[in-house]
Amino acid sequence: MRIEGTHTLHAPRDRVWALLDDPQSLARCTPGMQELRPLGPEEFEAVLSIGIAAVRGTYKGKLRITERTPPERYAVQVEGTSGAGFVRAVGLLELVDRGPQTEVRWSGDVQVGGALTIGSRMIPGIARMLAGQFFQCLDEQLRNA
Amino acid sequence: MATRWLGARIKRNEDPRLLTGHGLFVDDVQLPGMLHAAVLRSPHAHARLLRVDARRAAEHPEVVLVLTHADLPPALQQPLPKLIPHPTLRHHKTQYALAPDKVRHVGEPVAFVVATSRYAAEDALDLIEVEYEPLPAVVDLEEAAAGRPVLVHEDIGTNVAAHYVQRVGDYEAARARGHRVLARRFVVDRGCASPLETRGVVAHWDAKVRQLTVWDSTQAPIPIRNGLAALLGLPQRDVRVVAPDVGGGFGPKIMMFYPEEVLVPLAAMRLGRPVKWVEDRREHFVATNHERTQIHDAEIAVDEDGRILGVRTVFLHDAGAYIPYGLIVPIVAECTLPGPYRVPNYHAEFQAVFTNKTIVSPYRGAGRPHGVFVMERLLDLAARELGLDRAEIRRRNFIQPDQFPYDVGLIYQDNAPLVYDSGDYPAALERALEAVGYDRWPQEKARYRAEGRRVGLGFACYVEGSGIGPYEGCRVTVEPSGKVYVATGVGTQGQGHFTSLAQVVADALGVDVRDVHVVTGDTAAFGWGTGTFASRAAVVAGSAAHLAAQAVREKALQVAATLLEASPQDLELVDGQVRVRGAPSRSVSLGEVARAANPLRGVIPSEWEGPGLEATRYFAPPRGTFANGVHAALVEVDPETATIRFLRYVVVHDCGVVLNPLILDGQIHGGVAQGIGGSFFERLVYDEYGQLLSGSFLDFQIPTAMEIPEIEVHHLETPSPLNPLGAKGAGEGGVIPVPALLAQAIEDALDDLDLEVTQMPLHPDALFRLIRSAPRRPA
Repeated sequence: MRIEGTHTLHAPRDRVWALLDDPQSLARCTPGMQELRPLGPEEFEAVLSIGIAAVRGTYKGKLRITERTPPERYAVQVEGTSGAGFVRAVGLLELVDRGPQTEVRWSGDVQVGGALTIGSRMIPGIARMLAGQFFQCLDEQLRNA
Repeated sequence: MATRWLGARIKRNEDPRLLTGHGLFVDDVQLPGMLHAAVLRSPHAHARLLRVDARRAAEHPEVVLVLTHADLPPALQQPLPKLIPHPTLRHHKTQYALAPDKVRHVGEPVAFVVATSRYAAEDALDLIEVEYEPLPAVVDLEEAAAGRPVLVHEDIGTNVAAHYVQRVGDYEAARARGHRVLARRFVVDRGCASPLETRGVVAHWDAKVRQLTVWDSTQAPIPIRNGLAALLGLPQRDVRVVAPDVGGGFGPKIMMFYPEEVLVPLAAMRLGRPVKWVEDRREHFVATNHERTQIHDAEIAVDEDGRILGVRTVFLHDAGAYIPYGLIVPIVAECTLPGPYRVPNYHAEFQAVFTNKTIVSPYRGAGRPHGVFVMERLLDLAARELGLDRAEIRRRNFIQPDQFPYDVGLIYQDNAPLVYDSGDYPAALERALEAVGYDRWPQEKARYRAEGRRVGLGFACYVEGSGIGPYEGCRVTVEPSGKVYVATGVGTQGQGHFTSLAQVVADALGVDVRDVHVVTGDTAAFGWGTGTFASRAAVVAGSAAHLAAQAVREKALQVAATLLEASPQDLELVDGQVRVRGAPSRSVSLGEVARAANPLRGVIPSEWEGPGLEATRYFAPPRGTFANGVHAALVEVDPETATIRFLRYVVVHDCGVVLNPLILDGQIHGGVAQGIGGSFFERLVYDEYGQLLSGSFLDFQIPTAMEIPEIEVHHLETPSPLNPLGAKGAGEGGVIPVPALLAQAIEDALDDLDLEVTQMPLHPDALFRLIRSAPRRPA
């Protein structure tokens, strides 16, 4: 299923890029992120604990950056599994320069399997909620810096 | 005979026990030291298994056994048995106990964990590391038939398991003569049975006597016993399989073997401790067989009077990932299609196709709803095309009561010729039309329309193959207490066998039906039989019970004749006594006769054929018997919300001699409810990756009392000449014509729109789209 959204961050594009490029701040702001370990320059291993619809689970997975064009865009591939099933997704993040602000446009294509399919209709809503939390956290970091 | 039990509307012997919570279902079996199993299932529809690492699960403190494919004995590493072969089934692929190197549907078992509790076993599943290489999933049936996007089983080079053609007469020639030839595509989508009780298995291995006892919610305990003995290398006599109370079977609980049915006994033997596994509802949606997807490209040729010249259907049947049960469902579909009509030329051709979905095997109706849907829709189309009344076109094509036995010209699922034994199809239709008020329907419909309501009348006719062989057996024993014990090999899943079989025996022996105790589904009580399927238990096991009871009756008369110093011909069996006709004071109780038949000293006359008041008899019908019926209903459609409501529902049902009208009414009510659910509310929706999106009761909506109308049942009785009871099967008639009836009713309700219903189930959003896209008919 395809999901997408837009958020405005209160900082110039270069600063937003720097923050998004930093695994530590990513780990801090990703809801439920328990571990983010670099496997290489473009690949990470992650442990994430989130609830999707009625199914709460701890997901172990890999995140790979498949395209990286500073400070405009990057594309990622995510694969995660848990006892509740698996998630596979590709995502694209684009930063649009708005002077003192930056518009972030994100989109993703998500496939789920296992028990997760029971709540799969909820996934777009949950993804938007989690994305909202993520970008709000980033925005707070930018403002406080 | 003083009391005639057979045919009486008596309450069920088993209900006080069941209704007060004293039933024994598999999950009620509690044994000391019992362990609990859970199954790791594939979350992928199609993937290679690169690595299965269960070490961490095995280290879990509460885990006692972890099985992967590599841990199985060689006999269980092979594909599980082929159940029903067929000459045209070229690729009889069957499922594995645990997947070896590839998974082919979501829910396919990959590993099996036994722990001290189900909780721990499920926790340990999370510790098993499985590396999958996902493959494209084969989901769309037509694409699958063309070998796209990939092959479910690479080694056979195709996704087509079987291609089978049956012909009667010459359809092409009939088509050329046709005044009208009408062709349509009809789609019937997946469904599943949703029994109250999911599947379950408990196994207990007694190492001292080397005996295995298995409680299994199966419809076929004896074949399970025989198969387990072969797979586990045990004599059949040392394996006891009990199908205790089972909360609904409906077909999918006969499989031989579901993986858990061999894994649980294997684990119990390895561990020397009892092991229990009970399926949860989420598992049930993907791990218990489904039914139904078929795409029919069908055609009918009629003359100017609406007489059928010929019918052709070329269809695809979705087998799912494996095809253990063979071609039963598509064969039943094509053989049910001609129904109560004379179809002189018929071409039926299908391909059974593998897809990356749950296995398909018979579910109540078992292809019959598909065939009836296609045939009834074709007749409705032809009637509309010719400007003929829809009842009239049926009248013109019915097989007449004097044409039996009627040879349809096909080979049925039992490999015997499809020959209807008896019936009165015109009478059934007239009775239904009268009951539903067909004659005054135009006025009534106009009245509804004047109120702004869209109500349609629909009806559909069907013939239901039932009561097939090969055989069942029954043992009837009178004990010295005077109580009668009856044992048969079929299993019971709510059909009332504890009562209907008791009625058969009570009549023969002149005893109260409450003094007849029936045991079903326990291989220790009766070891020969095939199972409960195809609406056959009452017909085949019932006939065996009748024969055995008659034999016991003869013996009771012989033995009592000695005791009473009378001739057997002068004796009668009444109220548990054998007495001299006309001299009731000269009598002896059945219990005393039983004692006399098993003396401690003395001589047993050779004509007694052994000791005791006991007989075992088998009944093997030459071929199936064919029930029939007509359903008619009023259905209100709300065109704004695309919801439907049944206002009236009439069933006219002919299953030969009725054993117990109360039980029969229940069978029909349940069938209609499942038919309504499967026609409008229930949907198994797969996405392009082969994931089941509606795998919970949140999305798969079984109907409730709110959706099911009061059902008015009329019984006709055309006895079957093929069995001593004159009975025919009744298990599936409730469900069979519902899709066809609903389609006709919706078209009738919305007759101002140019709309055709050609797919089932027709859920609200499909109906909504149909209504929105339909052009208005010129007034």
